[in-house]
Parts: sequence; C-alpha cells; structure tokens
Amino acid sequence: MKIAVAYKWAPNPQDASVSGSGAVDWSRAKPAISEYDQVAITVGRGLADALGAELVGISVGTSETGSSMARKAALSRGLDRLAIVTDDDWAGADAGRTARVLAQVVEQVGEVGLVLTGDSSVDLGAQLVGAVLGAELGWPVVTNVTSVAGAAGELTVSRSREGGTQSLRVTGPVVLSVAPDAAIPTVPGMKDILAAGKKPTDVVEAAVPPPGSVEVLSTAPPTLKARKTLVIDGSDPAAAAAELVAALRADTVI
Amino acid sequence: MSSTYILVADDARIGDLLTMASGSTTTAVVVGRREVADRVAAGGVDSVIWLGAPAADVPLEAYGPAVAQVVAEAAPDLVLAATRPADRVLAGAVVAATGAQVFTMVRSVTVSDGSVELGRDVFGGIAQEVVRVTGPVVLVVDGGPDVTAGSAVEVTERAAEVRPGVTVVEEQPAERAAVDLTRAPRIVTAGRGVKSRDDLALVDALAAALGAESACSRPLAEGLGWYTHDRYVGVTGQHVQPELYVAVGVSGQLQHVVGARGAGTVVAINADKDCPYFAEADYCVVGDLYALVPALTEALS
Ligand SMILES: Cc1cc2nc3c(=O)[nH]c(=O)nc-3n(C[C@H](O)[C@H](O)[C@H](O)COP(=O)(O)OP(=O)(O)OC[C@H]3O[C@@H](n4cnc5c(N)ncnc54)[C@H](O)[C@@H]3O)c2cc1C
Ligand SMILES: Nc1ncnc2c1ncn2[C@@H]1O[C@H](COP(=O)(O)O)[C@@H](O)[C@H]1O
Repeated sequence: MKIAVAYKWAPNPQDASVSGSGAVDWSRAKPAISEYDQVAITVGRGLADALGAELVGISVGTSETGSSMARKAALSRGLDRLAIVTDDDWAGADAGRTARVLAQVVEQVGEVGLVLTGDSSVDLGAQLVGAVLGAELGWPVVTNVTSVAGAAGELTVSRSREGGTQSLRVTGPVVLSVAPDAAIPTVPGMKDILAAGKKPTDVVEAAVPPPGSVEVLSTAPPTLKARKTLVIDGSDPAAAAAELVAALRADTVI
Repeated sequence: MSSTYILVADDARIGDLLTMASGSTTTAVVVGRREVADRVAAGGVDSVIWLGAPAADVPLEAYGPAVAQVVAEAAPDLVLAATRPADRVLAGAVVAATGAQVFTMVRSVTVSDGSVELGRDVFGGIAQEVVRVTGPVVLVVDGGPDVTAGSAVEVTERAAEVRPGVTVVEEQPAERAAVDLTRAPRIVTAGRGVKSRDDLALVDALAAALGAESACSRPLAEGLGWYTHDRYVGVTGQHVQPELYVAVGVSGQLQHVVGARGAGTVVAINADKDCPYFAEADYCVVGDLYALVPALTEALS
C-alpha cells in the first residue's frame, strides 16, 4: 500500500499587501509548505513506517510547486517521493478543481490506500479539499483526525468533535484530514535536506478542468471598524488599569 | 423563483443560512436524528427531506453520496452548508457530484436568473470582493443560531444508502459543556503570552470580574489543549461579535483577528509594542500581562 499526503505550496496572506482598491500583491509573501500540511506529512511518516508503506506527497499548483526549493521543502519533511501537477494558469483554483486534479494524481500513483490532508490551507483555509477529494475518489472522509493506528485495511482513527472525541474503525481506502494538533511537525535537518535532493519527483499529466465562470465585479480592502488605537503604557500596572477602566466606563462599555 | 438547498448534518443551528436563503424556495436535506428534521421543518423552510435515522455506528459523513444524489437531481441554484465538520463533508460530496463551485467567507448572496452574486472576504480576510458566478454554487458559511420554532412543514422521508467503510466504535463526551461564544456580550481571550495552564487562573479571574466568557487563540485549544475547540476564535474557529473583546497575550495574526473583527471595543494587552493586534485595537495596553491582568481585575472589583 502507498500513503499519499496532499500538501500545498502557498504563501501566508498575512505577508501579502493589499492596495486601497483591494488588489492583493503577493510579491513580498514567500510560499512555503502550508503550515498544517506539515502536520499531515509528520503523521503520514509515522504511519508509513509502522505499516511499511511508501509515503508520496501529492500537490497541484503553478510551476513554483515544481521548483527545486518547493520540492526539497516537501521531501525534506519525510516524504519518499512526489507526484505533482503543475499548471501556470492554476492560481485561483477552488476546492472542487483542486480535488478533481488531486483525484487523478491519486489514481496515477496507484495502490494508494490512504490520503492524508492538512486541516486547512494557509491561503484559502476552506477546509474543503479533503471532503471533495474523498467524494471524487468514492472514498469516505474523516476530518479533525487526531490519531491513526492499525494496519492497512483495518485502521483505528480518533477524531475530535464538538461533543467530545470519537473512535472509528476504517476498513478500506479513506481520506483523512488531520487536525493541527495531531503531531508536532519535525524540523528538517541538514541530512534531510541533502537526502531530499536525491528523492524522485513525478510530474503527472492530468486533465486540468477549466476554471469556473467567476466574474469579479469589484474588489475592496476589508471593511474594518475604525479603531482608536490608543496606547496605554503599562509600566505602572495599577495606573494603566485605572486608565483603561476609566476609558471603558467613559465609552459605557462596562 | 430561485431554489436553495440547505444541508443539515444533525444540527439545527442554521439560522444564518435561512437568512441567506430568504427570497428563495428552500429545501433542507437533513441527515441525522428525526428530531432535528422536525426542528428544521418548524424553522421556516419550504420543505424538508430527511434521509432516515442513522444506525448508532454510522457516522453522518456516510450520507455524503445520498445527499449529493438528492441535490444533483434537484439541481438547485444555490446550496448552503454550515462550517461544521460533518456539514463540510456533505458539501464536498455535493461539489464533487454537481461540479458546483464552492465559496467560503461569504457575507451576502443575491440569486438572479442563472447567476449568483456573492460578496465575500478573500484570503482569510485581507481583502473582499463581489463576484458573479454562473452555474451551480455551494457556499460553506457560519450556520448561525438555532432555528426558531414556527409552523411546521411536512418532513418527507427518503431511504438512503450509506457509504460503507467507516464505523463508529466509541464516543467519549467532552469534559466541559459546549459554549456559544458567538452571542457572548463580553469575551476575554488568552493567547500564547500566557505561559502555563495554571496561569489561566489570572485570565479567568479577569473574565469573571467582567462577567465575560473565556476564549483563546487556536494554539491554546489545539496543541496545548488548555481549552475545548469551541473556545478558540479565528478564521477556522468562532466568529464573535461581543461588545467588548479583551485579547491577552495574543499577537494578532490575521487568522485570529479575523474572527473578532465584529467586536465593539477591542482591548489588546501585549508586551510587544509593535504586535500586529495594536493596529486593530481600541486600547493597546503595552506591558507584562502577569502584572496588568491582576491589576485590571483589581481595578474592576
Ligand atoms: C490555516 C490556518 C488557520 C488558522 N486559524 C486560526 C484561528 O482560527 N484562530 C487562531 O487564533 N489562530 C489560527 N491560526 C494560527 C495563527 O496564525 C497564529 O499562529 C495564532 O493565532 C497565534 O496565537 P497567539 O497570538 O496566541 O500566539 P503568538 O503569536 O505566539 O503570540 C503571543 C503573544 O503574546 C505576547 N506576550 C508574550 N509574553 C507576554 C507577557 N508576559 N505579557 C504580555 N504579552 C506577552 C507576545 O508579544 C506575542 O504577541 C491559523 C493558522 C493557519 C495556518
Ligand atoms: N493545491 C493543493 N495541492 C495539494 N493539496 C492541497 C491543495 N490545496 C489544498 N490541499 C490540501 O487540502 C487541505 C485543505 O485545504 P483547503 O480546503 O484549501 O483549506 C490542505 O491542508 C492540503 O492538505
């Protein structure tokens, strides 16, 4: 059996700048392996070692996803190989399109019994790609997964839910979206980075569905409430507390 | 008239979805207990399709293909689902089956002939846009409050096949009761500036003095596990709009702040005078929370 981990090479919107007209400028935001996908890779590595499975990183993105830096960043985190799709018109894909391409990658990799995804991608944060991917593959989907154990074809999966936790038995192929606290991502060392250079990457040919019909009518910066941004020096805590309480009372907030 | 399908995974907290669907003919597709279907039927939808009582060991997500089939047959203009885990999986099944485009963080919707106009936040809230989408659309948005009971429509039961492969073996209920932060008038939020679990007592004392609910940033709920998951605020957590929001030792990363932008007054307490939260706070208290929080509690009592 092979285990696939879906990871995204994406920048953090926190680092992008937005113009007065709402145009997003990504030039200063550097892409990385999306934070929570690092958790999925770590969970995948542990499981692959336990099951004697191969761990394949799968991704779809622009040609940047296929750059040496992006590949090394992914492979140095413990993946055995990569299978990726690159398409220069990729930007702006929604979860449906992403999942449709990833489903083809899973089919082409072959013998995949388990796909892991992160909780959410750093740029879109939709928490949806895993759900659509499972449906595309015809496999069940479990989200918020905190631990996975067992053998191929008979996995025990724990997940957190609003009402507590649930323990599930999984027989057969499945997509698991891993909770951010399922593992602490390992930081790759020099050895891992060197080894990453020798691991293979398959650039997969996939039928990339055309983007849906979305016409942008207008963009704007976020509508933020005007904030006072009044600084209160806390070096004298009692004075600062008195000042804050007086201000909140004056505002009739308390 | 346009038609909207609302997906419901055993939870009638779909008040905001109903508001979004107003002006449209609404059908709720309900997975889970009959009482939830009954509740939704009395909550202001035009019709309810209930997929039958699930066996105890069947997870709600196993109804994905059945829900997708119901929706695909009806081909509505718009499909709405709440941002809860099982609801998302049902929405994902609908996206796969219908080829619909899916959007999150949507604030406004207008359905007109053959297209849907959406106002939404993009990239975690750094900008917003208005778009016109042609073709079927699925929106995954905050469900909002529980429906309010009115006169009920009939519940139509449809037999559904469930996807095999996953069975529930055991349930462990949470230690603490669930909270609804979305309607709390005051919230005190602890961030990673709080160094140990024991120190939360300081923050809790402040919350008590203010009559506020306690909340946290995501790392304190996930990773550290000091709070239950329903207590963290942010893009993937709760979206709150209290009159007063006090952020204690929270840096103010976009993914957190976006969940509290609806707050009336924001107080941020942080040792770092350059922390991002200060750009979006009314009162920026610069200093050590370990001294400031007890002083504030004291000043309030
Ligand atoms: C896809 C994605 C989704 C996410 N969703 C969410 C979400 O929904 N909600 C969320 O909260 N986060 C979310 N995050 C994480 C988010 O990016 C931040 O990492 C997180 O909010 C940081 O939490 P924090 O502010 O508590 O910790 P930190 O960023 O570590 O900040 C701690 C702050 O405490 C201050 N401090 C330290 N000591 C003291 C002291 N003694 N007195 C006063 N101040 C002190 C520091 O100056 C610092 O500003 C998400 C991340 C990703 C990638
Ligand atoms: N372009 C992509 N390539 C590979 N995996 C992806 C991609 N986009 C999202 N994912 C996976 O799906 C998860 C959820 O993403 P999202 O639905 O965008 O929040 C991520 O944590 C990744 O594991």
